[in-house]
Amino acid sequence: MIEVPVTNNTEKFNSATNSLVPTTKESLSGKFKLIFGIFGVLSVIGIISLILKITTVGFETKSGWGYYAAIVSLLLGVFGTAPMVAIAPTIAKADWHRPVSRIATMFTLAGISTSILAIPLIFALPPLVVDGIRRRSIWFDANIYTPHVFFGIAVIGLFFIGLALLWVTSIPDLSIMRDHSSGWRQRLGKSLSRGFIGTERQWISLRARIGMMGTFYFMFLIFVHIIYSICFSLELVAGWKDAIYPMYHAATGIQSGVATVIIGLFLFRKYWNLEDHIGIDQFWALSKLMFATTIFWFYFFICAFMIFWYGKSAINEMTIAILVNGPYMPIFIGTLLLSFIVPWWIIIWNPVRYSPAMLSVVAAIVLIGSILDRIRLYVISWQVYSDEMIHKRYIPLDEIPENMIAPNLLDIGIFIGFISLGIFAILLTTRLIPVVSIWERHQSILLTRHIKFHRTEVYAVGKPD
Amino acid sequence: MQQRRQLDEKQINRELLNGNLATPKWYYPVMGVLGVGVLIGFATILYMFNRGLGVTGLARPVYWGLFITTFVFWVGISHAGIMISAILRLTQAEWRRPVTRAAELLTVFSLLTALFFPLMHAGRPWRIAYWLIPYDWARGIWPNVRSPLFWDPIAIGTYLTGSTLFLFVALIPDLAILRDRTTGIKKTIYSMLALGWRGNPRQWQLQVVAGILLSALMLPIFVSVHSIVSWDFAVTPAVEGWHSTIFAPYFVIGAVHSGVSAVVTMMCLMRWLWKWNNYIRPEHFDALARLLIIVATAWLAFTFLELIFSLYGRDAPEIALRELQIFTWPWNLIFITFLLTGYVIPVGCWLFKSCRNNIAIMFWTSILVNVGMWLERFLIIVPGLARKQVFVYTWEGYWPSPVEWVILVWSFAWVSFLMLLFARFFPLVPLFEAKESQVFTTEMKVGRATVPMVIRE
Amino acid sequence: MSKISMLGLYDNPDSAADALDALSEAGFDSNNFDVLTGTPYPEGAFGEHVPQHRLFRFPLFGAIVGLTLSVFLTSTTQIVYPLVTGGKPILSIFAMLVIMYEMTMLSAVITTVIGILFESRLPNISMNVYDTRITEGLIGVSLVCTSDKKETAERAFNGSGAMEIKSSGR
Repeated sequence: MIEVPVTNNTEKFNSATNSLVPTTKESLSGKFKLIFGIFGVLSVIGIISLILKITTVGFETKSGWGYYAAIVSLLLGVFGTAPMVAIAPTIAKADWHRPVSRIATMFTLAGISTSILAIPLIFALPPLVVDGIRRRSIWFDANIYTPHVFFGIAVIGLFFIGLALLWVTSIPDLSIMRDHSSGWRQRLGKSLSRGFIGTERQWISLRARIGMMGTFYFMFLIFVHIIYSICFSLELVAGWKDAIYPMYHAATGIQSGVATVIIGLFLFRKYWNLEDHIGIDQFWALSKLMFATTIFWFYFFICAFMIFWYGKSAINEMTIAILVNGPYMPIFIGTLLLSFIVPWWIIIWNPVRYSPAMLSVVAAIVLIGSILDRIRLYVISWQVYSDEMIHKRYIPLDEIPENMIAPNLLDIGIFIGFISLGIFAILLTTRLIPVVSIWERHQSILLTRHIKFHRTEVYAVGKPD
Repeated sequence: MQQRRQLDEKQINRELLNGNLATPKWYYPVMGVLGVGVLIGFATILYMFNRGLGVTGLARPVYWGLFITTFVFWVGISHAGIMISAILRLTQAEWRRPVTRAAELLTVFSLLTALFFPLMHAGRPWRIAYWLIPYDWARGIWPNVRSPLFWDPIAIGTYLTGSTLFLFVALIPDLAILRDRTTGIKKTIYSMLALGWRGNPRQWQLQVVAGILLSALMLPIFVSVHSIVSWDFAVTPAVEGWHSTIFAPYFVIGAVHSGVSAVVTMMCLMRWLWKWNNYIRPEHFDALARLLIIVATAWLAFTFLELIFSLYGRDAPEIALRELQIFTWPWNLIFITFLLTGYVIPVGCWLFKSCRNNIAIMFWTSILVNVGMWLERFLIIVPGLARKQVFVYTWEGYWPSPVEWVILVWSFAWVSFLMLLFARFFPLVPLFEAKESQVFTTEMKVGRATVPMVIRE
Repeated sequence: MSKISMLGLYDNPDSAADALDALSEAGFDSNNFDVLTGTPYPEGAFGEHVPQHRLFRFPLFGAIVGLTLSVFLTSTTQIVYPLVTGGKPILSIFAMLVIMYEMTMLSAVITTVIGILFESRLPNISMNVYDTRITEGLIGVSLVCTSDKKETAERAFNGSGAMEIKSSGR
């Protein structure tokens, strides 16, 4: 067995702390201030667009809410599932996630966008009883506003659990802010770190809380994806019966969440010079996740498509017309290319997986694919909905609209504005909590070593549990 | 990792080859009993070929019964190999090492056994060639590639060939060890099989790269196989309860659940029979049980979605089918047993660390899972067919005949027989992986604690 | 000059690494000596030349062959026997995809295994000089050289602490 020398890590710990704490203190001037300002203005535009949307479109005109529903779905993926990149490897006890987990968890704050947008959409959702007749629903004979209530609770609950997760995982860093900063940061750090001084008991309790919060977040996230995908698209299309759809929705959400984390990681690493903390290993590991989720996109799609294509009943043919070869066929082709074929083909090459820049380009392609995917699924669902049609066994092919709806300025305003609001919330948090978790960085330093192995050097990772 | 012991190569050779270089006392009696079971099974199969499928319980409208259920069951078990070997290899899970060979082997033998069932089910298996192999030059009749039943043998053939080659490639270094420890005719045979392996850096490098590359290639095949098996059912809109989009991933995750459980059963037996306590340790069972909790819960979620969406359409025949499946005797008993054995009891136990580390509990819970998973396939296949003909009201039930039960028991005896036969001549725990684990792990001191470390290149 | 095969046996990796250095210093070409171990070590652990391989080309080649064959098989069987089933088109692309996928993967796996054997230089018929204790934990350093260099090689082996030196002519 090769000997691992005992090292004194104090210097490395201090170096990590001293390089990461200043990232929260960067002066609000120059480029950062400009970026902050741009996202702030765009967020305001988004909120104004939302108010105008509610007041001008009204909740009765269902087709006017298609793009809006698509944006909520997209944000559930992009912002909502990004924290899974921190949670899943923690559960799997992978060691590469430590420099990534903070950035991934910070996206829970961007969930503010999803929550604000989701609430008005609840009012546009038709009740379970339409024109005195009960429509098909997974809630069966429940109270007519059951999905509204459950989704409302779930989406707000997800946001708060996300906040709790971010807080719990940040406690040791907040205590570092308490000890290594001044002014409001010190006061806020003191108040939020709740007297954390790093006793063994506190660390044990912290680990348990992170595990619990992560599990809760995951369960809530899946619940929200299931309810949202079924109630806000599938149920609106008479005859669309697709048991895999909620899982497709969650899996593709995770795909966009991974893409978001890759882009976030790349930008923070580049502009705050965090190369010492965020290595190529992290991008390499994320590329594998990205590859897997890209394959999942196709797998879940083909599993549903084959059944519809083979079944060949009127219901099956209607479903294919709605999802694939109907008015949204160009969007579908775009999705197929950008969510699967192009990223898959690029990411299979080793050099791409080692290049943060190239991987970020792939992530951007995937995100465009995700936008198209959500448009293809949601816009038509709200477009074909009508109070009479919903009670039919299925929508006859000749009643499926011939043309797709184009987004209007308000939709674009909401789309850009609420993505900006999410980013704005994250940037605001970076003023208090470092984007790379200092305590997890310390843990990395403690548990990893480059050691001499006879005539070569190897990398050894400690596995304490 | 925590329970790992430092072992030298001599000791590893001695302990892990204890069933190959000598014959354990229990070996021949056990093989004898299994051999008798296998012979009875083959005799029954020949009897069935002679008399026709009339000796089974199959009758209008249920023409797919125990044979197809067992076919799906064994294909499911075969998913153990790649799940353990490929996924855990790609994710660099250190605890996979002692399990990979047995899991791959289980894949190969369970697939071989699975193939028997559709062949037997055809009644006159030799006629299968007509729809399987494009050879009929004279009549101009060719296989119908549009039929999912044609996809099955292609997918299973691919998986079986790939798994066998995967198994062989990973066996080469161990064959060299056997070559070096034997004499006479045995040495000659092992020498031929080891292909002149010397263990130079090039060969080891290729062995490691091969493991990763073959894992990456086998993984998509692994997913496709049970998906295609599920499409045998799911593309059929005529049978209530079958035409569901979730079937492919539902079958795959169910297969992983049953396959990994079967690996747990095997590991317990390996630990008990060959006394490989240094290699198959409670921490391995703990890791597998934790993996199984996640897999089982995902599988339960899929079951739940499948059930919800079957009722979602509000079609009367589908609702009637679910009533039959869940509330009508004897299906309700099967349904409850399936839920209890497939999820509630095993996962309930695995939530506790003391159970996860208890070999006997792991053995019995893993068996329970496979009882549940067999019943699940039976519940999917038979009730749907029993109520297939909505308008003619031939809603006959189906119960397997003694001939079918004997053949079911035969399949277990057959797989066990083949496994033990293999274990007599080849090591069930990969020796080179056990040795690699010794090289690629170390320890570090953190204060007063000793932390195990894994070496990465 | 006849060629001989030599083998130095070592009981620890550092001595084996020293042997490789000594053989290099003695003027032997690194292509002619090799380390033999019973277990994989990290690359470069003995300071050995890290071999290059082209394994990744094999599955690509196999996949192309498999795909081509499967396109041929699936399309011709449907065209020569144009039986409409289930209202599907005669050339059903989605059904063909399944077969094409499986045959592509099968062919890729088979060529990969061929590639593994080829790149590992297996089967290796001439074993040269070998010792069964290598699979018991000893580390072997093998050398192929001309018989006039035998003494130089022995000096290099002994100087690095070889437990035993074996040689054979061929």
